[in-house]
Amino acid sequence: MENNTLLLPILLPFAGALTLRAKRLKNDGSRGFFVTAILACELILASVCAVCVKDSLHIVTLAPDLELMLDPDGLGKLFSLLVAFMWLMSGLFSREYMAHEENRVRYDAFLLMSEGVLTLLCFAGNYLTMYLGFELMTLLSTPLALHTQTDAARRGGLKYLFYSVFGACLGLLGFFTVYTFGSSTVFTPGGVLDGAKCAGHETFLLMAALLTVLGFGAKAGMFPLHAWLPAAHPEAPAGASALLSGVITKAGVLSVIRVVYYQFGPELIRGTWAQYVLLTLTLITVFLGSMLAYKEKIFKKRLAYSTVSQVSYILYGLALLEPTAFTGAVLHVVVHSAIKNALFFTAGAVILKTGKHDVRELRGIGKEIPVTMWCFTLCALGLVGIPPLGGFVSKWYLAQGSLASGIPVFSWLGPAVLLVSALLTAGYLFPITVSAFLPGADFDYGSVEKREPTPWITAPLILLTALTFAAGLFPGLVTSLASAIAGKLV
Amino acid sequence: MKDYILLLPVLLPMLGAFAAYLVGRVSKTAKDYMADAAGLAEFILCATLLAYAASGRELSLAVPGICGRGIFFRLDGFRAIYAGIAALMWMCTTVFSREYLGHYRNRNRYYLFTLLTCGATVGVFLSNDFFTAFIFFEIMSFTSYVMVVQDEKPGAMRAGETYIAVAVIGGMVMLMGLFLLENRLGTLNFDELHAAVESMADLSPLYLPGALILFGFGAKAGMFPLHIWLPKAHPVAPAPASALLSGILTKAGIFGVLALSARVFLHDSVWGNAILALGTVTMVLGAVLAVFSVDLKRTLACSSMSQIGFILVGVGMQGLLGPHNSLAVWGTGLHMINHSMLKLVLFLCAGVVYMNLHKLDLNGIRGWGRNKPFLSACFLMGVLGITGVPLWNGYVSKTLLHESIVEYIELVAESGAPTGIYHVVEWLFLISGGLTAAYMTKLYVAVFVEKPDKSFEDHKPYMNRQSALVIGIPALLLPMMGLLPSGIMARAARLMESFMDPSLPWRDAGEQPIRWFSLTNLRGAAISLAIGAAVYLLFVRQVLMRRDGNGRKVYVNLWPKWLDLETLLYRPILQNALPFCGALMCRVLDNLTDWLVSLLNHTLLRRKPIPPRRDEDYAPGDYVPHVHRSYTLQRISGSVSFSLLLFGLGFCAAMGYLIVILLTK
Repeated sequence: MENNTLLLPILLPFAGALTLRAKRLKNDGSRGFFVTAILACELILASVCAVCVKDSLHIVTLAPDLELMLDPDGLGKLFSLLVAFMWLMSGLFSREYMAHEENRVRYDAFLLMSEGVLTLLCFAGNYLTMYLGFELMTLLSTPLALHTQTDAARRGGLKYLFYSVFGACLGLLGFFTVYTFGSSTVFTPGGVLDGAKCAGHETFLLMAALLTVLGFGAKAGMFPLHAWLPAAHPEAPAGASALLSGVITKAGVLSVIRVVYYQFGPELIRGTWAQYVLLTLTLITVFLGSMLAYKEKIFKKRLAYSTVSQVSYILYGLALLEPTAFTGAVLHVVVHSAIKNALFFTAGAVILKTGKHDVRELRGIGKEIPVTMWCFTLCALGLVGIPPLGGFVSKWYLAQGSLASGIPVFSWLGPAVLLVSALLTAGYLFPITVSAFLPGADFDYGSVEKREPTPWITAPLILLTALTFAAGLFPGLVTSLASAIAGKLV
Repeated sequence: MKDYILLLPVLLPMLGAFAAYLVGRVSKTAKDYMADAAGLAEFILCATLLAYAASGRELSLAVPGICGRGIFFRLDGFRAIYAGIAALMWMCTTVFSREYLGHYRNRNRYYLFTLLTCGATVGVFLSNDFFTAFIFFEIMSFTSYVMVVQDEKPGAMRAGETYIAVAVIGGMVMLMGLFLLENRLGTLNFDELHAAVESMADLSPLYLPGALILFGFGAKAGMFPLHIWLPKAHPVAPAPASALLSGILTKAGIFGVLALSARVFLHDSVWGNAILALGTVTMVLGAVLAVFSVDLKRTLACSSMSQIGFILVGVGMQGLLGPHNSLAVWGTGLHMINHSMLKLVLFLCAGVVYMNLHKLDLNGIRGWGRNKPFLSACFLMGVLGITGVPLWNGYVSKTLLHESIVEYIELVAESGAPTGIYHVVEWLFLISGGLTAAYMTKLYVAVFVEKPDKSFEDHKPYMNRQSALVIGIPALLLPMMGLLPSGIMARAARLMESFMDPSLPWRDAGEQPIRWFSLTNLRGAAISLAIGAAVYLLFVRQVLMRRDGNGRKVYVNLWPKWLDLETLLYRPILQNALPFCGALMCRVLDNLTDWLVSLLNHTLLRRKPIPPRRDEDYAPGDYVPHVHRSYTLQRISGSVSFSLLLFGLGFCAAMGYLIVILLTK
């Protein structure tokens, strides 16, 4: 019975979303409290599931080997905890940020529901369940991207929808392939492909695996299906962009892990042209994202390009099919989530308090919102990979894994590209900090007014910054889990 | 348990930094005392550790799990001495900062970052593996940036940009080197590296990682061609910060170079030659730049670069001399100590000048130092020390370095190989020594000897007691060190040598005591000083000084303005050329998919224009005008959510269809 608990974190947000229309929740204050309470419950439930539940849960069987099934392993639990935590942070942030926005009920409802389906995706025990979660996540998170209903938002939101649905179609191709050539579609470490059925179809299988990864990679912003990211993320309200960038891209990452390591199996791809194609694409994305972020002047768009680059660090680590790199990739999932959320929160706080969108207008802003900008600075350092903050350790593991993989050219090219990208990251984040805190000797200090946001915004920021520090100083918790998983996979 | 005390010298200043910052928000005076107390406590702590290490004992500490790999600290003679020097310098500069920064804005920030830098720098010196060293090195780079740009003037911001760019690029390149080194050797721990290297048949796979790591550490040390930040950052930073940058942060870079030379490339002649070449260029270039400079602090900065070159020459000779390198080891170690102490005194004296005049160019400050015997004496100690005049400390280390070159020439001659190139190095060494004498004389004469153009309006006293104390005591140490070479210097060198060459302490147990003031040793110093006198009298006074309109001789800067690696090469490439090409390429890739979509839209999937919506389009059967629909229904059917719902239904139907297909398979 206890494994029925798994359903709770999936269904609770839906229940919450449905009651939002209730009379008692008409006023913003009580609804805000209600949403926060649900998000907090979610975090508790996710923790309970992570600790207590050991078995799988079969929800409904559609056909003998076609069923909806939840079976959270260590990876799924880690991701679900991450989702619940980040959603809570964004929920807190949104209370102040959304105070003057319209259609808040809709925003809250879709915020809650997308958390539910994302948890479904994390807990999924087989391909079908994951696919369901993936599609639903696309549909339920689109309204968040569309929220402001400006032309740009509509264009961005629809682009997001189209790219994701196209990606999911490729994912469906993967499903049929695995269904045909595998022994089952249940996630099994090391893959499920049946050697007897596969014989003679290797090229087709590689092609299918590659297309599937491309499809799910669309969600993670992998070249060539990355273009929705810089279009959609900046247009959403900051709380939602943070989640889109920080967490929902990681759903793409989780799907890629499931497909590559649990369905097709790393042995199929290792050493083939498909792996080289993947490595090339991820490295292109890493460089492309950083380069364009460096050239971008709109704050949130810059951060969106940065996400393109950073999530591909993770995909690069996964494509190496090497345990150390896998560990680094999982650690980077956590680190990048925390950092990117914090950075988007900062961008949101700046917009909320000053209405400025362009990074060139931020001179002296550190004097006005010091706590926020301090958090920004520390997280920026973490993203560049300056020790002892989070990004440094994950990058170390990624690079070590890359060198240890012994893949010709890529083994050293990868770390080199990561470092060039880190340099560009420094190039697009530090100038913001510098002009914020060091406005120059001729700066008019008289015009400075303190407008630090309330703790609804600063508290999540500080927590996320603390998480970045913790992930850098004591990464052992995540890395030991990840390397245990990696040991089983590779 | 007692090993955990090694964390204290790192954490104490960092905690002190935050404490001072918080206190500073309430009371500025209390903050000053707090910062002084932190500096003093750090000094007492490091002095105690030095006393502990001087008795031949060592401490080592491993804290597993931090930053993934764990951090490793070790206290031996070298590190204890350098931690001690760092603490001394921070104590002196912190005390001095109070008066110097008296009228600055953002002082609280300065103290916060200078104390954080202190902790990080001591962390570098105590680290026992490259990973730990890298962590603290990066922290140090970033926190010291804030010290450079303290006054936020455009010049400072630009210099800060250069500083941080060099630091970040250096850090990334070094990180790549560390990745490769660990991949090839399996360890980064100083204690294990040498064994790992010895098990390799061929060193050649290590040269690339070595070069990359050298890039990072060398950039901080101010090694050519990465010296560009040094002459820019020092003149604009507050004087106490310049003293730290020049005296101790560059040494953190040297620490890394030494670790690399002594643990990975011990006694390797290829490595030795490479370092020797880079060191020689740095040494000569720095000295030449310093002779041309007409700015007090810029001259001192170029001088730092040149002295770092001397130290690198010593490091190179260590590798070349192999098992016979004890002179080079001693010379390198002692020149590091000397340079730290000298630059502390010299930059603080320059700070006093700036504090009173807010000018640094030699024509503007000319003659201000007349009738200020105390400052003049302190500065003179520094001049005599750095020039290598016998009886002052610089003489000792320079002599040792010179002797090591001479020794190597003899060794090469014995083996029958051509010695020409090393004779050139020896002469360049002596000439650089001479140039040192020339530019230091130029400074001293300009500030303290020449008559001023017009009398300065002096406010008395020109510095307070605390400042005088922290300049005077280090200045007094300089001749003491020079007068007692066997007592102080040789002892320090003995303590340091095990770090700089692990094979040395038990190799040369019974060697002859060095005769510091023998005729051969004095001859090198005499040649340098003669060159110096000639350069000063014939070049500096004749060429670098011109008569201005009033018929008065003024100092002119004859160094061509365009001849600057940074503006000529680095900035155009890094700021314009590379980003332009990269961005162009990336824009094309970025839009590739969108272009493809738009191509399809205009060819295969050409869209027909959608006719405007009319009510009758939606009405079933006969057209009924103004069908009354409830407001809620209208809102629902017109909403995004409704469209998504329909989409979802269609999606479910498709899924259902697929399931049926699969079932009937």
